[in-house]
Amino acid sequence: MSLPDLAFQIVYGRLAWGIVLLALVAALIPPGWRLGRRVLGATAAGVALLMALPGSTSPAWGLGLAFQYPSGLLVGCCLLGLHARWRKEPVPVMMPVSLAAPLAIAGAALYLDAMGLLAQGYYYAAFGPVGAPLLALLGVAGCALAIARGQQRGQVRGHALVLLGALLLYTLLRLPSGNLWDAILDPLLWGWAVVALVRHGLRRYARSKRRGGEADQGLTPELQPVDLQPLFAAGGIEHLSSSKEQVSGKQ
Amino acid sequence: METSLTALRSRPRTVIACVLIVLAAFTAEARRWAVSTPLSIQAKSSLPARAVLTETAKSLIPMPPNTPSAHASTLASVPGGMLAFWWAGSRESGPDVKVYASRWANGKWSAPWEVASRESLGKALGFGVRRIGNPVAWTAPDGRVHLYVVATGLGGWAASRIVHMVSSDAGARFETRRMLPLSPLFNTSVLVRTSPVGLADGGWWLPLYFEIGIKYPMLMAFDRDGEPTRVGRIGESMSTLQPAIVRVSPTEVRAWMRDAGGEQRVQQAVSRDDGASWEDLPSLDLSSHNTSLAVIRLTSGEMLMLHNHVGADDSSRSTLRLSISKDGQVWRTIGDIADGKDGDEFSYPTMHQVGQELHITYTYQRQAIAHHTYRIATGENI
Repeated sequence: MSLPDLAFQIVYGRLAWGIVLLALVAALIPPGWRLGRRVLGATAAGVALLMALPGSTSPAWGLGLAFQYPSGLLVGCCLLGLHARWRKEPVPVMMPVSLAAPLAIAGAALYLDAMGLLAQGYYYAAFGPVGAPLLALLGVAGCALAIARGQQRGQVRGHALVLLGALLLYTLLRLPSGNLWDAILDPLLWGWAVVALVRHGLRRYARSKRRGGEADQGLTPELQPVDLQPLFAAGGIEHLSSSKEQVSGKQ
Repeated sequence: METSLTALRSRPRTVIACVLIVLAAFTAEARRWAVSTPLSIQAKSSLPARAVLTETAKSLIPMPPNTPSAHASTLASVPGGMLAFWWAGSRESGPDVKVYASRWANGKWSAPWEVASRESLGKALGFGVRRIGNPVAWTAPDGRVHLYVVATGLGGWAASRIVHMVSSDAGARFETRRMLPLSPLFNTSVLVRTSPVGLADGGWWLPLYFEIGIKYPMLMAFDRDGEPTRVGRIGESMSTLQPAIVRVSPTEVRAWMRDAGGEQRVQQAVSRDDGASWEDLPSLDLSSHNTSLAVIRLTSGEMLMLHNHVGADDSSRSTLRLSISKDGQVWRTIGDIADGKDGDEFSYPTMHQVGQELHITYTYQRQAIAHHTYRIATGENI
């Protein structure tokens, strides 16, 4: 096992929670308000100031108490949303299925194992001196290749970039905990992935139902497409338009 | 393929950056692999000899002022004596609960001093700690005292984490090394209680347990410098905790556990590959009504177990019984260290052998920590 120094972890905790908090604050600003760069910059400065406060006056104190450290991937996804806001581009809506599905499945297995319902030792294996680092290196190489080729759609390329960042954080500094799982997954991110998958599933279901309705139009001309907004609202994701918003919905 | 190559050629800076990143990552891992050394662990195997125990003293360890509640003691050797650690405060889980220490030297205990509190741990870790719980101590071959303390996050004991502290001056002051990473669930629900086990290479095993409805025993291995080397689960049971571990031979290791299930018997597991994998065994015919126990292997080779016996007129923690075994399977009662009436509590025992002395501490009525000493001699019977 190779674990990070506590000093690195403290710095990481402040920075990482600061980014997550900033993404959350930016997402909570009503869509009608114009979130210009000046406002976003001022918000970032305010959050940075808050996180730098000593002891229990800093939000990092309470966030660490409850959640310890966010995964590198969660921080990266929040950065992705903030980057889009800064460039005044459409904020990535939810997580792509190609990322959400493996996270949701792997997380389910990991947490069932950690709860004692399985006895496979998935979490412990990710402390291994050879296997886990080798897997991370392969991931780094894969992400780097995907980015260098630059052929993927923007959102996928962005997620390859944040996955690369999370894996590098683990490979170079062993942050946040020395465990590969903790670099790419945490319960908040897992919740986000599950919500994203459910939303994708509901959308797909609505589309197929709409197509079915159109095919049967002669028999049921009054059939209308399903309005999913109330369902999303119930799940706390009606106004979610970025990563952090989805995180807040899970919490 | 042609399209990919064209794409790569059109982005030279990106490609160079990616290559550099991959090289940096490979270099970082290669350096770690180059300095890592293979573990070589050996244990001495000896045939059990008969030991004689004679009680030489018993007392209560002095308590800090205004702390009516005390629990969960642990012992560690230091040059010229021994240290006891325990938690004390107004009540279990109270905000004023702190870990205290006292030194045993020349046949008496010193005044206690504070070792860890919510405030001190929060300051060292950079985030909050809500409750303080069980401490467990171990003295490394280099003389440094390692202390593991339960410190919870947001919630009850299910939110427990374990802080690793180290003292280079025989327990006078401790520095916080880190919060041990033990669970993917916000690193919560893992606790310590029972004593570590020394290894022939200078390292040690720290017994742990997971507890959030389901309970299961674990262990974490440390090298001689106190750096974790691996962590794993003991067996597959889901209602046992607080493993007391003993190495029986170079390959065989046994663990006895507190039973939180309906059987109310001491549970056990065995490893035949030096702790790499574990097999659950049938329970012993010894009471465990959800109470902690301690097991130690004397230098004579025999094993001693302290556990709460529950007879007809006993409550679950009113009698603390000492039993002995040569093989870890057949246990014979030696006697009761503490025997009270229904409702009394003598619990959470710890044993520690220093030379030819056996030290026992346990929670006394949840108000103090009791200490007994025994002289050990090889003889016919106990």
